[in-house]
Amino acid sequence: MSAPAVDLRQITKQFPGVLANDEVDLTVERGSVHALLGENGAGKTTLMNVLYGLYRPTGGTVVIDGEPRTFDSPRDAIDAGIGMIHQHFMLVEPMTVTQNIVLGNEPQKWGGLAVDRERAREAVAELADRYGFDVDPTATVEDLSVGEQQRIEILKALYRGADVLILDEPTAVLTPQEVEELFGVFDELTEAGKTIIFISHKLSEVTTAADAVTVLRDGKDVGTVDADSVTDTELAELMVGREVLFDTDKPPVELGDIGLATRDLVVEDDRGVRAVDGVDLQVAEGEVFGIAGVDGNGQSELVDALTGMATPAAGQVFLGNEDVTHAPRRQRIDDGMAYVPEDRQARGLVMSYDLTENGLLGSQRDPQFASSGRIRWDDAETHADDIIEEYDVRPADADAAAHSLSGGNQQKFIVGREFARDPDAVVASHPTRGVDVGSVEFIHDQLLGLREEGTAVLLVSSKLDEVRGLSDRLGVMHDGELVDVVDPEEITEEELGLLMAGERPPDVPKATRRVGGEAQ
Amino acid sequence: MNPDRLPGPIAGLMGRLVDASAGERLAVSVAALLTAILIGGVVTLVAGVFATCSDPILGPFCYNPLAVYRYLFLAPLSDPFVLQETLKNSALLLFTGLAVAVSFRAGLFNIGTQGQLVLGALAAALVAVRVGPAAPDGAVGGVLIAGVAMLAGAVVGGLYAAIPGALKAYADANEVITTIMLNFIASDVAFFLVSAYFQKPGSGSVETRDVPAAATFGPGLALAMAVLLVLAVTYLLWGTAFGYDLRTAGIQPDAADYAGVDAKRMMVTSMTLSGAIGGLGGAVWVLMSVGRWVNGVPALGFDGITVSVLASNNPLGVLFAGPLFGSMQAGSLSIDFQLGVPRQLVGVIRGLVILLVAMPELFRTLGVRWGMGGVR
Repeated sequence: MSAPAVDLRQITKQFPGVLANDEVDLTVERGSVHALLGENGAGKTTLMNVLYGLYRPTGGTVVIDGEPRTFDSPRDAIDAGIGMIHQHFMLVEPMTVTQNIVLGNEPQKWGGLAVDRERAREAVAELADRYGFDVDPTATVEDLSVGEQQRIEILKALYRGADVLILDEPTAVLTPQEVEELFGVFDELTEAGKTIIFISHKLSEVTTAADAVTVLRDGKDVGTVDADSVTDTELAELMVGREVLFDTDKPPVELGDIGLATRDLVVEDDRGVRAVDGVDLQVAEGEVFGIAGVDGNGQSELVDALTGMATPAAGQVFLGNEDVTHAPRRQRIDDGMAYVPEDRQARGLVMSYDLTENGLLGSQRDPQFASSGRIRWDDAETHADDIIEEYDVRPADADAAAHSLSGGNQQKFIVGREFARDPDAVVASHPTRGVDVGSVEFIHDQLLGLREEGTAVLLVSSKLDEVRGLSDRLGVMHDGELVDVVDPEEITEEELGLLMAGERPPDVPKATRRVGGEAQ
Repeated sequence: MNPDRLPGPIAGLMGRLVDASAGERLAVSVAALLTAILIGGVVTLVAGVFATCSDPILGPFCYNPLAVYRYLFLAPLSDPFVLQETLKNSALLLFTGLAVAVSFRAGLFNIGTQGQLVLGALAAALVAVRVGPAAPDGAVGGVLIAGVAMLAGAVVGGLYAAIPGALKAYADANEVITTIMLNFIASDVAFFLVSAYFQKPGSGSVETRDVPAAATFGPGLALAMAVLLVLAVTYLLWGTAFGYDLRTAGIQPDAADYAGVDAKRMMVTSMTLSGAIGGLGGAVWVLMSVGRWVNGVPALGFDGITVSVLASNNPLGVLFAGPLFGSMQAGSLSIDFQLGVPRQLVGVIRGLVILLVAMPELFRTLGVRWGMGGVR
């Protein structure tokens, strides 16, 4: 048997504060379509950037066709027959298809003094013909559809002699019809002996288009499976992981009024697509409402609309009895909403500030720390010290800059700060992502403590055990919709997996708790 | 730019810079300054080879770098005229450097300090001329006129800067482009207004009437005001919730959104503040340096950008960068006829200082942005 086209062995990539890839193995057979599946931030793109020579791995070996290689730049990777099609196309829009494809490798004439356009056009036409691509070499790129532009990118890679094509989330920008066409292209290419690696976090695509699937989670590879025999549910489980079940001691809590709610909420993403499509939910005081779902099904956008980071296109958001749909973020903070953001390094912390300053983020005008606009730094530092001690943040130094902390410690500090607000409502997005096991349990206890104090908690997490263990009711999101609200204690993992994949298993145990006297 | 692609040694150095303590950074800056002086000396020496002179210091070398530096750094001590110029320049550069630093701290590249200064200066001059006759005689009147004139300068400068701030916040217009364009508009509008309506009778140049003598002041007072303003702005930025909002919006806009900062309003407010400081600088230029508004306002606003960069946009750093820059500028005015060294050569030395002192800070800033440096 011939050597695999690509063999990544024990690839490790360390960024400051983040271990993006942790001893990942990936073996891709020649002539196959291999999917790389995982949630956002699982390390898929990092791994492919290592293969494409954009990143140098901290450890591990890249083996191409049985030969260990070191890539200093994409140029080296291209020379080794690796081509990458990025999520955002790198095309010169006003230029023609031919010009784009030959860019940087133009056929020359007159001893290199001029581009041989005739030969370039012929080469492109011949290439398109060989793989059955229907493209007009003289068309201008900006006049083409997104799907066609993607095919130009693929042709560009083929023109440079790529045998292995990496596609980073190729379907993210395509319509369903274009996705089908793309998978047709995959077939053409593999028949011609090319190898394809594509990144995705959509289960259905992976099982449709790939021969084999490698699943990444938190930077580690959790296994490679045969795409034909694996089910969506199994893949979902691999993706989100099944951690050690912890015992959650959840005493019954008297439910109060509605603390947080949405009505017919619609949120559009940058492209104007409905990322959240008509979501109704109500979280009572003293209740944890969990949201489960595969990443990218509208959870982030829902959280943004709830917390005031984004304005909904339609529908309403309520904090207590108050309609805060268009209230600025400032008002929601003042009204007692705490928010643990998904992206801690962009939102949750100012990376160059020390922990004293970061402890103020959001509370900089709170009378607790400021009188008539003047910040009392002593109080701010005491506050940071309290968080550091209670949440065991290391280093235990309020003067340390946020960027000098590891990801887990950054997360603990944010959670500590937000929970210390004495909030009426909490929106927690992946509150334990990247946190060590001991601290996970501590954060869970704090979350349940808030519940007992009568706080309304909305918990979004991709860890199934977490949402099941903590939630009183569990909503499942798929494709922007809240497909069901189920009882987290009764539902099986299989049923949950199906719901997350957008299917409707029969007889799902519905959540039975009542909110404000009204059955949900 | 992908930081991961940097050659190892450079990435290592940048990491070191990010981790450097305040003391180390000061040492780096001082070393850079000395290096710039050394290189500048060599350049001066070499430039002298191509000049003709009657008494070369040695062989073909016409210019004595030591004399140049002695003049640049010590002339203010021996020559009262140079001293005056140094103090005036320093005070004005404190204002403009501070104005630029405030906007840079807020993440806005206000290249329009010059225009804000020009209009602030005009407003101050016109108000002083108009209020003058109505004010009481003597010192009280002088203080009153100067106060009102400076207020007018700050208000006009602030409002003029609010325009690009609002354009950025509500129309997504890049403030670098708009402020540069508004500089031209400011100069031309001021020229038109003065030549058409406020021309000093009998004067050949485009200028306003003189402000009342009682309202003018010397560089000492201007410096004192500038230093107080620097301290006040430092306190504003690091001691108040407003400053916290401004800095957060400048350094990490997403985190500012998260912290409930109204990003659009902050753009307008911080631009207004920056413009008001620039306009105040214009008022001081009128009351301290010329006694009226006169066409051809020196490029103090642009030099403020350099001062701010040299000070790594730190108001307290401006306290050192302003005078350093101001003294070199004052020295270059008279070095020509004192030593026969062309003033352009001083410009070269000044450029070297900026390049060498600002670069480590630039790389440090980039390093911080790229998350380099050690993890504890």
